[in-house]
Amino acid sequence: MDIAELKQKWAGQTFDTVSFEVDGSELVEFALACGETLPRYTDRSDDDFQAVPSYTSRYHGRRQLPEGFPVDMEQSFDGGKCVEWQAPIRPGDTLIGRSRIHDIFEKTGRSGGMMFIVHRMEFTNQRDELVSIVDWKMIQKLG
Amino acid sequence: MILDLHSHSIVSDDGRAKVENYCQWIERKDVPIDGFVLTEHRQFDDASDYRGLEDQFGLLILKASEVETDYGHVLVFGVNDDLRAAFEFGQIGLSLETVLRESERCGAIAVPCHPGRTRVGMCAHIESRGEVPGVRVIETLNGGSRGNENDMARALAERKGYARIGGSDSHIVSHIGRCATRLQDPIRGMEDLVTALRAGRCDAIAWEDEQWISPS
Amino acid sequence: MDEQNSISRYHDVEFGDELPEVRPDVSMATVRRFGKTTGMTFWRFTDHEKARASGLPGAIVPGIMSQGILVAMIHRWAPDATVHKIDTIFRAPLVVDSEPVCRGVVTDMDDENRTVEVDLTICNEEGETRVLGTAVVGF
Repeated sequence: MDIAELKQKWAGQTFDTVSFEVDGSELVEFALACGETLPRYTDRSDDDFQAVPSYTSRYHGRRQLPEGFPVDMEQSFDGGKCVEWQAPIRPGDTLIGRSRIHDIFEKTGRSGGMMFIVHRMEFTNQRDELVSIVDWKMIQKLG
Repeated sequence: MILDLHSHSIVSDDGRAKVENYCQWIERKDVPIDGFVLTEHRQFDDASDYRGLEDQFGLLILKASEVETDYGHVLVFGVNDDLRAAFEFGQIGLSLETVLRESERCGAIAVPCHPGRTRVGMCAHIESRGEVPGVRVIETLNGGSRGNENDMARALAERKGYARIGGSDSHIVSHIGRCATRLQDPIRGMEDLVTALRAGRCDAIAWEDEQWISPS
Repeated sequence: MDEQNSISRYHDVEFGDELPEVRPDVSMATVRRFGKTTGMTFWRFTDHEKARASGLPGAIVPGIMSQGILVAMIHRWAPDATVHKIDTIFRAPLVVDSEPVCRGVVTDMDDENRTVEVDLTICNEEGETRVLGTAVVGF
């Protein structure tokens, strides 16, 4: 498989757009399960109550990869996530998540030969403000 | 002289450390190394120039590469234009035999790293496919190794009489200098380092209990 | 929260400062709680036996939960700061019901933007790094 060709063909274009309603009780549960103690993340009555900065890492689009992508990622695993917080996310917000492939490369490691697909999801709120960017490294073993 | 011979900066796809921060860390935490070598994944970093940092911090900072072969990962010291024309650094699954031979021919040296890694290190490949001639030095202390991986590397070095090096394999600032190499000769640049490694005048050391130890 | 160990201003931070260590709760009950909220209820995260049968060392902590745990550690250290970015690499599975240790240390400071960068690790009981990464924290 020619990784450079794969990247040239598939990287860059938005292939999925999906909306999420932000639920206050889920914000609290997520924060508490992660050991959060600050009231602005755990107490819905706090004046500044909001999602923890990494909250958007939990969201997935309707598809992980573009339709027709030639690699079956069923056996892929999560290699890491990078979340860039841009603005607070509040309960009741409606987020739009737009997905695209940001990068594709191959390397070898403890699992042998692997293809890395960096899936980027950009989140805007109902005011069209950018609130978060999540890069997710999906790893598929080669061979 | 003590150098960390295996480290990564943000130039590597999974590196998160800026070189200046490595230098600051070494200075602030009194990490007892005289310098380090940046062994970026699947490339040689032409663009970066660390001479200013060397002067500022009194450290030796050299550049090398970590390439990926059919016998596991290999550190290549002494990268030059001839060697870069000899094989594609960005390719995975390079022939170890080719990397060793061409490094030798071009005045560099190739050193298999973390050979004890389960299934993918050189030890595992040797077991299933036999040895490749031309290895002189291997990395027997890698800061990212788990379980008995360093022990396996050491056993291989012992059995084959390979010289040994150590390196932190750091990808974040605070991991620099976890393991290193003691060099018997003064090293002023990459040429000196290649000469020392080819002669086997090196030893792998790890920082434990506030001192350098050389596991036998 | 331990107020003695918490930081409130950029100028209270120095390069090399260590964040107070955290020993997070990654018990099955807590991982299931996390899973219920996020939909991550797959056996890989909630069933030791099935996970082992598939070759894993046991049920594993979801990567994004590890990331959230590291964010919480930063917040304990600097309650008034904002985590602008967190970048984690999941090097190896973190097993549910194990006793990992989270650590952080300041490795870069930006006086102009009043942000610091923090190295982050989660190690297992053997001291092996399972998750590592960095965060940018603004004051």
